Amino acid sequence: MTNQNLILSAVFIPLCLAFALPFIGKLRQNARNVFALLLALAAFACSTALLPAVLKGDIINVFKALQLGFNFSFIADPLAVFMAIVSSFISAVIILYSFGYISHYKNQNEYYLMVVLFLGAMMGLVFSANLIFLYIFWEITAITSWRLIGFFREKQHVLRADKAFMVTVFGALLMLVGFIRLGQEMGSYDLFVIKDAISIHPVSNVTIALILAGIFSKSATLPFQTWLPDAGVAPSPVTALLHAAVLVKIGVYVFARIFVATIPLTQFWHAAVPMAAGISALVAAGAALVETDLKRIIAYSTISQIGFIFLGLSMGSELGFAGGLLYILMHGLAKAGLFLCAGIVEQNTRTKDITKLGGLITAMPVTAISFLFCAFSVMGIPPFGGFFAKYMVIAATLGGRHFIIAAIFIIGAFLTILYLFRAFNMVFLGQVKTSAPGEKEPVMVFSVALLAVLSLAGGIFIRYPNEIAQLSCAGLPGIFK
Amino acid sequence: MKLLLLPVLLPVVFALAALVTPAAWRRAREALSILAVAINLACAIALFKADAVFQMPWLGFGMEFKLRIYQFSGFILLAAAFFAACVCVYSLSFMREKPAHKQFYSYLLITLGLTSGAVLADNLILMLFFWEGLLLTLFGMIAIGNKSAFKTATKAFIIVGISDLCLMAGIGLTGYLAGTLNISQISLPITKLGGIAFILLMIGAIAKAGAMPFHSWIPDAANDAPLPFMAFLPASLEKLLGIYFLARISLDMFKLNPASSLSMLLMVIGCVTILLAVMMALIQKDYKRLLSYHAISQVGYMILGIGTCVPAGIIGGLFHMINHALYKSCLFLTGGSVEKQAGTTNLEKLGGLGLKMPVTFICFIIAAASISGVPPFNGFFSKELVYDGALERGVIFYLAALVGSFLTAASFLKLGHAAFLGKISSENNNVKESSWPMLAPMVTIAGVCVLFGLYNRLPLETLIQPVLGAEKLGGHVFYGMPSNVMLIVMTIVVLIAALINHVIGVKIGGSGLKAVDHIHYSPVLIGVYDRAEKRMFDPYDIGLKLAVAGSQALWRVDRAIDWVYDGLIVKVAHFSSLRLRQFQSGYYAVYVFWAILASVAAVIFLLKQ
Repeated sequence: MTNQNLILSAVFIPLCLAFALPFIGKLRQNARNVFALLLALAAFACSTALLPAVLKGDIINVFKALQLGFNFSFIADPLAVFMAIVSSFISAVIILYSFGYISHYKNQNEYYLMVVLFLGAMMGLVFSANLIFLYIFWEITAITSWRLIGFFREKQHVLRADKAFMVTVFGALLMLVGFIRLGQEMGSYDLFVIKDAISIHPVSNVTIALILAGIFSKSATLPFQTWLPDAGVAPSPVTALLHAAVLVKIGVYVFARIFVATIPLTQFWHAAVPMAAGISALVAAGAALVETDLKRIIAYSTISQIGFIFLGLSMGSELGFAGGLLYILMHGLAKAGLFLCAGIVEQNTRTKDITKLGGLITAMPVTAISFLFCAFSVMGIPPFGGFFAKYMVIAATLGGRHFIIAAIFIIGAFLTILYLFRAFNMVFLGQVKTSAPGEKEPVMVFSVALLAVLSLAGGIFIRYPNEIAQLSCAGLPGIFK
Repeated sequence: MKLLLLPVLLPVVFALAALVTPAAWRRAREALSILAVAINLACAIALFKADAVFQMPWLGFGMEFKLRIYQFSGFILLAAAFFAACVCVYSLSFMREKPAHKQFYSYLLITLGLTSGAVLADNLILMLFFWEGLLLTLFGMIAIGNKSAFKTATKAFIIVGISDLCLMAGIGLTGYLAGTLNISQISLPITKLGGIAFILLMIGAIAKAGAMPFHSWIPDAANDAPLPFMAFLPASLEKLLGIYFLARISLDMFKLNPASSLSMLLMVIGCVTILLAVMMALIQKDYKRLLSYHAISQVGYMILGIGTCVPAGIIGGLFHMINHALYKSCLFLTGGSVEKQAGTTNLEKLGGLGLKMPVTFICFIIAAASISGVPPFNGFFSKELVYDGALERGVIFYLAALVGSFLTAASFLKLGHAAFLGKISSENNNVKESSWPMLAPMVTIAGVCVLFGLYNRLPLETLIQPVLGAEKLGGHVFYGMPSNVMLIVMTIVVLIAALINHVIGVKIGGSGLKAVDHIHYSPVLIGVYDRAEKRMFDPYDIGLKLAVAGSQALWRVDRAIDWVYDGLIVKVAHFSSLRLRQFQSGYYAVYVFWAILASVAAVIFLLKQ
């Protein structure tokens, strides 16, 4: 396959074949499950196959001119490939986990359709080099996540799903206005063209603010954050997919794509974005220390950690950008692991309230250890992967002489240790309050153990992801030191 | 030089092998561990005189995988290997019937490997990688103790973890200021930012060493964690590592001079740690807990010594570091011996064990004399050097150190009296001496204490003085008897005072255990002690309360924003739709009226164009 075809397959295999899943499901449940996993693995394989060419320094482009400037344009550069590999891999693990988790519930056909469709849209978004297509894929993810959050159909769940949908779509519409303004200012929606035109036309601050509103709403950053913890009512693999691995990373990725790889931000935004991220990181970390619902704690933790990613990406330095990308990888692995562990706990004890849990380490040793490993990675303890990402982001902030912002994030990192330990201790250690039959479903336990081991391996073999992350920095206009 | 990887990788590989052994293969695991520490010790000895660098490509941005051995790191490497070997042999007997046998040996070996890595690393990030990795085994080794140990483990993890984050920030700042992360290339002046960087690095160093206010997990760990852990980490390895790094930052990376206010800060931290911790040690009624407070207090001498920034003080601080590692690990090992044989370390249930356990008792006497600074044991010489340095900087520091010595001596007289002398309780009548795997390490370490005292030229000339280098020493030698006779006289006076105090205390209290009750229950102190015993001064608890209070406030911010979505927007939407509905009255005339009005407006708008 040529590299162009690899990009197209990575996007359209999951995006189109997802619709076959309900039909397969009518015939054979197992076949549908395996096929869904295969679609995710296909996306992963295609993205990985792009790696050799990209590592050589090639930038692969698929371009077809269409009417009204809606040019069909895909691009595979190190940044896109890195993101595609991370999100398709984590999605595959989450689908594997779903084999066990979702098998007790109704509407499985819809579930697998939505998850794979979501992944396809995500891949499309990652490779898009045209703002309009980017927006279309963006909204597909919004629709699928709306269905997935309200999957259990209870009244409150549906309301929460509506909330998530409305907040993110409200942001997306603002972003669309921003895109249109950007298109008019630059004369094109193609990121290539905009990148070249930027030296002539500076972008207005209103446009930037509109686009940032969309990004922040998708990535659940203050003041658009509260839909994310509320969406914790979704099935656990969905929360892992949405809150940890993929959905919230969309905003972060588009930030990198537009504001680092295409339009360099001005000095004002280099101070404003980290400050917003810092406040978001701090507020969410504080909330995580107060909450008593396990999934809400982890969701707040996600909001907080997203702040670190924004910080790294917005520093305008190679160290920060590479650190931010590594953060996306390490946080994706570890946070997905945490949510999936929470799913195992929830399914076996029928509660998410940490004040009613305790002492589960004897009944669920593998889950407990996996939770601890993933927590260590999120805290940034070596040799887990999160350590390097956290250091690089903080060091880049100090290197950029943003000392107050660095201090805010250090406090956020303190709180990270506190709330994750609080959650771990209350769920897995101490007195047994709600007895659990055991870990049951081996496929679920395997998935979390895999993510935990990868969090560890990510730190020990940090050289390899780091190489791609560093390569992604090369030649980006938003990186000036 | 690839051999440098061996002390890092070998223990970790053996640890992983031990971790996968089936639970019943106890002997295989012990053999593996002994083999690992033996090879590691041999390797450390072989490397001791080496001066080499090992480098391989790593992460870029100045993050290099660079190990360097030279005189100072060789010394710490050897010391760590020595203590690991002692504790490992000791554990053969001590840990035999204990649960979590497997985890204990694995964690011990991983700790050793990471410590070697942190000592050898010549790049700050690589060092931080190993240094912070120690958190995991710290957590693990405490958590395998008794039932409530996980709370202490969490406490230790949080305290050390937060200080490690400060260290991380300090490293980031240092790297930015110096333009490199290679330790041997960094040489920074103390400026405003440089000062902040120094303080952040210092927090990491002294927290690892267990100085105040990062100390409060150590006494809890003494109760909860398996005893060899105490001898291994808080007593020896963490001191070596923390003080090693403190010396590196204040001697090599930053040029700390006596005029600097940071020097003053270090001395104050040192003195406060000495005094407060020893005050707490004095009143403890548990063998291990009493020792653990001394493990904190003695760090004060090392920090004070290095903080003086004068050669005598620095040499004294470093010499005290190795001496403390020796006598304190020996003391903990005697405590373990007592625990194993008598079944308790509660001093109220102990007494008269001296005749039943003569070897343990003799080791205790030697180590206790060392820590109290009795000549001619090693602690005496290092303390004299610290006094010398402190006196040069100010009488107040010297006096604080001297009072600390008085209280140290008093508390060890109490401890020895309560545990080994006095009447033996009926339960302890059948107590026997421990087996050889426990005695051998104690005797070895006690022997080194005597050697380093009587022949202090050996450690000072080969280990300590080269750290400072010939230039800074300026031709001074610090071995042999202390040059200042006044200091010796003062020390002996203080020791005699402690003895007199003990005799009086025993007379008043009636037993060795109650020998310091007249200090404990003296008018002002009683109130302070009461509150301290209720943990009202625990910086950890205070910090947690602050964190929770702050988080509550932040959570309210989050709730307020949520209210905008769930409350305000819903209300506004509801209100405006109600208002708009009123226009939909259903009357034809009203609609026509609106239509005409709109048409007029449109016409006016178009005409204006």
